[in-house]
Amino acid sequence: MPLDTSTYSLALLRIDGRRWNDLRRLHAQIHTQDAADGSSYLEMGHTKVMCVVTGPAEPQAGQKKGTVGSAQATGQKEGASIVVNVVVAGFSSVDRKRRGRNDRRIQEMEITIQKALAANLHTHLFPHSTITVSLHVLSQDGSLLAALINATTLAVIDAGIPMTDYITACTAGSTSSYAAGDDAADPLLDLNTQEEQELPYLTVGTLGDSDKVAVLVCESRVQVSRLEGMLVVGVDGCKQVRRLLDGIVKQKGRKMIKEGAVRRSDMMAVSLDD
Amino acid sequence: MADRRRVNGPGSSTLPPVYDDGELDAALRRQRAPDAIRPLYLKTGVTPSASGSAYLEIEPREGEHGSGMKLTCTVHGPRSLPRSAPFSPYMVLSTHVKFAPFATKQRRGYLRDSSEKDLSTHLETALRGALIADRWPKSGVDVVVTIIEGESTRQDAVERRVEEWDVMNVLGGCITVASAAIADAGIDCVDTVSGGVAALVASKDGKDASIVLDPVALEHESILAACCVAYLPNRDEVTNLWFKGQLPSPASCNHQSLVSRAVQASRGTHGLISASLSEAIGSTQN
Amino acid sequence: MANQQTLLSPAELAYLHSSLSLSPPIRPDGRTAKQFRPLTAETGILPGTNGSARVCLADGTEAIVGVKAEIEKTVDPLGGEHYQEYVKSASGAGGGDAEEDKRGARGEWLEMTVEIPGLRDDDAGTVFLAELLREALLADGEFAKKLWINRRFHWRLYLDIILISPPLSYPLPLLSLTTHLALLSTRLPRLKSEGDEDPMFDDDWEASPFLYPRQGAAAGSRPPITLLVVAVGDSILFDPSKEELAVADSALAVSLCEVRTQKGDESMEVDSGRELRLVSMRTVDPPSRLTPPGVPSTGNFAASGTFDPSSQKKQQQQQQRVEEYPQEGVWKAPLGGTRFAVLDSIIRAVLEKGGVADEVLDGLEGVDLS
Repeated sequence: MPLDTSTYSLALLRIDGRRWNDLRRLHAQIHTQDAADGSSYLEMGHTKVMCVVTGPAEPQAGQKKGTVGSAQATGQKEGASIVVNVVVAGFSSVDRKRRGRNDRRIQEMEITIQKALAANLHTHLFPHSTITVSLHVLSQDGSLLAALINATTLAVIDAGIPMTDYITACTAGSTSSYAAGDDAADPLLDLNTQEEQELPYLTVGTLGDSDKVAVLVCESRVQVSRLEGMLVVGVDGCKQVRRLLDGIVKQKGRKMIKEGAVRRSDMMAVSLDD
Repeated sequence: MADRRRVNGPGSSTLPPVYDDGELDAALRRQRAPDAIRPLYLKTGVTPSASGSAYLEIEPREGEHGSGMKLTCTVHGPRSLPRSAPFSPYMVLSTHVKFAPFATKQRRGYLRDSSEKDLSTHLETALRGALIADRWPKSGVDVVVTIIEGESTRQDAVERRVEEWDVMNVLGGCITVASAAIADAGIDCVDTVSGGVAALVASKDGKDASIVLDPVALEHESILAACCVAYLPNRDEVTNLWFKGQLPSPASCNHQSLVSRAVQASRGTHGLISASLSEAIGSTQN
Repeated sequence: MANQQTLLSPAELAYLHSSLSLSPPIRPDGRTAKQFRPLTAETGILPGTNGSARVCLADGTEAIVGVKAEIEKTVDPLGGEHYQEYVKSASGAGGGDAEEDKRGARGEWLEMTVEIPGLRDDDAGTVFLAELLREALLADGEFAKKLWINRRFHWRLYLDIILISPPLSYPLPLLSLTTHLALLSTRLPRLKSEGDEDPMFDDDWEASPFLYPRQGAAAGSRPPITLLVVAVGDSILFDPSKEELAVADSALAVSLCEVRTQKGDESMEVDSGRELRLVSMRTVDPPSRLTPPGVPSTGNFAASGTFDPSSQKKQQQQQQRVEEYPQEGVWKAPLGGTRFAVLDSIIRAVLEKGGVADEVLDGLEGVDLS
């Protein structure tokens, strides 16, 4: 048990030394790749993901038929359709495990992200086009879906696709398992793999600074009475994440303005270095 | 890779004992001259339902270790592309190479594995150079090669590393048989392409290395490098070149001689293709 | 690769082809024939792997390679329980010679996957790339020996190559260089146990040796690199871009490894001891065969504006001739193969001392390995 009740109740510290409402270190970069329309790199603790956004572009011949293993919005003739591809690298987890593109869990994440984007991007501005979001998971240590959503938000901002607000996500859990039946269990913020395996948790994504929930995924069994607490902590975590992401975007913007006089090609070389 | 749709053979197998003699016995050694290729049998038009087909057999060795390669190839098309396919100003060539499940010592599944896909890509490169593809816009042709019997014998259970060199021979056979089948289908080519293999083999003490044509990996102590070419004799051009291995001496001329020997081997098979094709023409005229 | 089609008109293709065939060739991005595109590289980016690397080309393509190792029990080919003992007794010497035992090392211990966005991972083109890179690594037979632990166990090495960006050009050189760097930074835990007992490893990561050792007698050996070279007319171009590939007459992937000749005195001539050795080559189907052909104005009735039935026969003859022989300034996809002389000059250009391969290897040596 990672949260051996004795240790946690004594010091109120988790195995990685965090308190219940601490986020892990969040580090992100925006515009990491020159060739892409939008790109980002995001670390939440040891979870590392990269995102590349292509488009809005004319749909490719192959994509119309529905490429294998991609979530796709169909029937959106008047707006841009959004295609999300998640590739989980074989070396991303501790034990190497190869996941095909038809893996159910991956498909579910693709659909979740695609739906969240479809609701919040102004796709009606780009009729008859496709926005392709490809996500690469380089290393996973919990909160994978949350990291993917945050990376997607950054990359979409980098691509300059208009959206209503930031979609930020994080996970929230509860300090004791369902079986313990402990109604006084504290909620936890931003779980790592070990905690995810042992404890009930949910992934929540909110829209900007509001309390509007854009994504909510809970796959574990948990008492209803605990759910509210978890959700509140999760939404609060999302606001923290939003502040961090906003800082990154603003920092990048400031840098771009500072270098505004520089030619575009030179700017690219600079952004590669950092 | 479990295939649930068909009734498969047992997953594991028992093997009869193979005694490791340590050395190759004299009967196993190569008895051909270094520049001789094994006798081949090639016949076109074996599958009436396909637009072109061919069968190739390499003469097996005498004795218990004998096993020759047997391949068939069918060519379907040229036929119109499906409606959903995008416009193509050329004939779209697709190649499939498949080992029959019983072709080798290790049973092959029904699904194509990576080495078979790799061979298909090689074959596609070899054939695409020979075809005059712009005479058939908006059409497709499928070339399907099946290896009915592979080259490896019982002995290879011990000498596992032999298999990687056998792939070259398989590719050479695939190119030759596919070329004959395409000619049988009446698809325009600049020339009949033929496959040839040459290898650099080390002698027993590992000191001298010599080049042999049409190598059988089992007959040699060790193979240092091998090369497979797809060659157009009348144009003196190579459409596909595949080389791998280690050349011992720094003298870089070695790769040239290896390739030129492989070309020589493919000239030999080319003679066979033209003889077989003219025979087929002769028999239809009578 | 079918998805590699470029959106160039026949006229543009013809122009590009003729400017690349000049001597010296004029490339669209102003490079010389033997110049590589600049790249940024870093290694050891993923602490969760045994070795990793990331390479970004200047045109924005980016690849990440991660290496993972697992211990696996060596299964003998005959499926018997006592095979190893049997071999041991058969070899007579009591099995003291590790070099002899290592002959049992097999290439299957290396597993390689290539992931390219937009392509299925079992797509023939992807498989071809993976096999090409794998073959180059295993060609000298030395690599598998590095994975040998003892008679009963071996390492199984998983090499996962991910192309992050959509392929803007044939990604072979990029993937090869990234793999090279990832393998250079790969470490395997130090073995504590001896002989054929169950392997035990040192927990200290700092003590773990590199797969390609940097010190000691074997220092300096490095994984092979694969270069893509195309021939356009008489010129030979390295590291072709997508547009250049679209007009290439032939393309050849050449893998070479570097052999350090051991001279008597180790301290001197460390760098001049490099000798390049060819380990594998394959022709790559040039995408130029799928480009749309141009129509010469002599064969184009719409252009000449007249249609004279009396000249029809003459025009047919002309058409025939057009089909057979390429016309200046009219694009036609290449037909037939490549003369060996051309292929040979490509190989010579690659292996040339102080040539491109040397330059690339020198560049890679400059990458800070962590």
